Amino acid sequence: MKQTLASASDRDSLSKEHEFASPTPGSSSLVAIWSLYVLTFRQHLHGRRWLVMAILFSLPVGLVVLIRATAPEVPPVNLEFGIAFMLIPQALLPIVALVYAAGIIRDEQEEQTLTYLLIRPIPRWAIYSVKLLATLTTTVLLTTVFTALTFVAIYVGSESSAGEVSLRCLKTIAMHDLAVVAYCCLFGLISLRTNRTLVFGIVYSIIFEGVIANMPFGIRLITVIYYCRSIAYQWMEFKWNRYGHNIDLAADAWKFDPKLMAEMTSIQTCVTILVVASLVFAVIGSLMCARREFHVKTPEGN
Amino acid sequence: MHSELPGEVSGPPPVKPIVEFHEVSKWYGNVIGINKLTINIPAGITGLLGPNGAGKSTLLQLATGQLFPSQGRVRVLGREIWNCPSLNSQIGLCPEQDAFYEWMTGWDFVYTSARLGGFRRSDASDAAKRALDAVGMTKHQGRTVRGYSKGMRQRTKLAQALVHDPKVLFLDEPLTGTDPLARRDLIDIIERLGSEGKSVLVSSHVLHEVQTLTPNIILLNRGRLVAEGQVREIRDLIDKHPHQIVLVCDQYRQLAGQVLAWDDVESVRILRGDKGVIVETRSPDAFYSRLPELSLADGLAIREVYSDDDNLEAVFKYLVNK
Repeated sequence: MKQTLASASDRDSLSKEHEFASPTPGSSSLVAIWSLYVLTFRQHLHGRRWLVMAILFSLPVGLVVLIRATAPEVPPVNLEFGIAFMLIPQALLPIVALVYAAGIIRDEQEEQTLTYLLIRPIPRWAIYSVKLLATLTTTVLLTTVFTALTFVAIYVGSESSAGEVSLRCLKTIAMHDLAVVAYCCLFGLISLRTNRTLVFGIVYSIIFEGVIANMPFGIRLITVIYYCRSIAYQWMEFKWNRYGHNIDLAADAWKFDPKLMAEMTSIQTCVTILVVASLVFAVIGSLMCARREFHVKTPEGN
Repeated sequence: MHSELPGEVSGPPPVKPIVEFHEVSKWYGNVIGINKLTINIPAGITGLLGPNGAGKSTLLQLATGQLFPSQGRVRVLGREIWNCPSLNSQIGLCPEQDAFYEWMTGWDFVYTSARLGGFRRSDASDAAKRALDAVGMTKHQGRTVRGYSKGMRQRTKLAQALVHDPKVLFLDEPLTGTDPLARRDLIDIIERLGSEGKSVLVSSHVLHEVQTLTPNIILLNRGRLVAEGQVREIRDLIDKHPHQIVLVCDQYRQLAGQVLAWDDVESVRILRGDKGVIVETRSPDAFYSRLPELSLADGLAIREVYSDDDNLEAVFKYLVNK
């Protein structure tokens, strides 16, 4: 039952004519968006997450050092293939992307700081897009630095020419960066749909990027790693000369037929597919963010 | 008001409400947060009163465009607030949750809020300086938020709400958990904001807090509007029920002895586990006004004051059943 305890005139005495607001002088949406980008990047640096990631990323380097110390006869090309083209893109990059992308919005929601973003003059779609962009910056930086370190660990002291190794390293970094961007955009989108992004991400990584990607069938075309491998296979050589025989490490491990090179998806197409897929995931995520509301827990709500 | 047009009725100019809720409902699944609420909130300070779970935070989240109404329309300054980021430049929110970017200093937090509001570096710096000064946090602005007391955190939250000089301020339980001195300071700040011409909607579950700020209140219970208007009449109803106030203090036994000596205190109960006392009084105004001095007395640093809303619940029951 509603009661009106004072007349309207009583209330009006407290009111005054409100002049409708105009945009705040000196303010700009671009400044707000840039600030959000910087804030997100700083959050990544201040959390312990980057430390965990750095340790995780140091594993390949540590592994290379260990192998070289205990089995110096292993040729660098084998080490490079096993670590930089198998371990990192198939296991490490999905984990890194998952850990960062899963928290794009959810971390702010759980720490109850999302409110401070939702009440600023920043469109909701931009909140997601900008935070995703900052996440991509962090993950690409980490991937670039640690891939380069892995190559240093593999080739330092070897007979390979510095120019050749540098070129291979740059190509590998480009491939890894493409992969981590695609993973981040995909996992970011998943994180907007479910609270169990980590579970979904791990299951996805194992089934799609682990099992399906290694099947010599067309179904592997739906995996990120297939396109990365296609790029690498057409761009670089993974030949190992053993007892006078050239062994193609990649063809065997990735189930590629060297005789069907002409029928493989071209490098340009692979890059386009990965870039377009990433963009599509990012746009869908931004649109979802623009439409949905986020429940930030309040003490009262708890 | 004189009218020159023939046939036009003369009278006072129409007052534009600052916040309009029209037939607004908000459901969380099967739970109703707000139920068919129609209310126009005018300029000035308005208190939003209700027990926990009454829908105050939902109302504020709807009014700040964080939530989309399941039904009805929410307008702020004459515009639909949902998905209207440009309107956010005109509103400020001090949220209830005690959440911060803990690694930031107070200055950094408020400055970043200004930058997120679209202020360029030098403007943001000036705005942050002004806002921190307004809430009396200039001295502590260089410390990380993690080390702030509850009162400092509330002031810093208020500073981020003020930093872009909004026309409308939404304050969600701004006094909760603060000590008597911080409480008095915050009340002074909010009163000053009102006198500076800002419209403030301040939520609380303690009538006394709201009453010191404004005579104009809105009573909510279970998502419904129970009453709106002048506080005096609601106050009379509340005074029929004893008011319970919890004081948290390390020297709680000494504190109990002190307050028991006051004439307007009906009973004092010790909360041994929480290091506090529950005081029952029928004159909360007089009681609250003596608290800052008591807190300053030797060794009696009262860490926290809050009010049980049992008595408010009783009033709501009375109002609903009337």
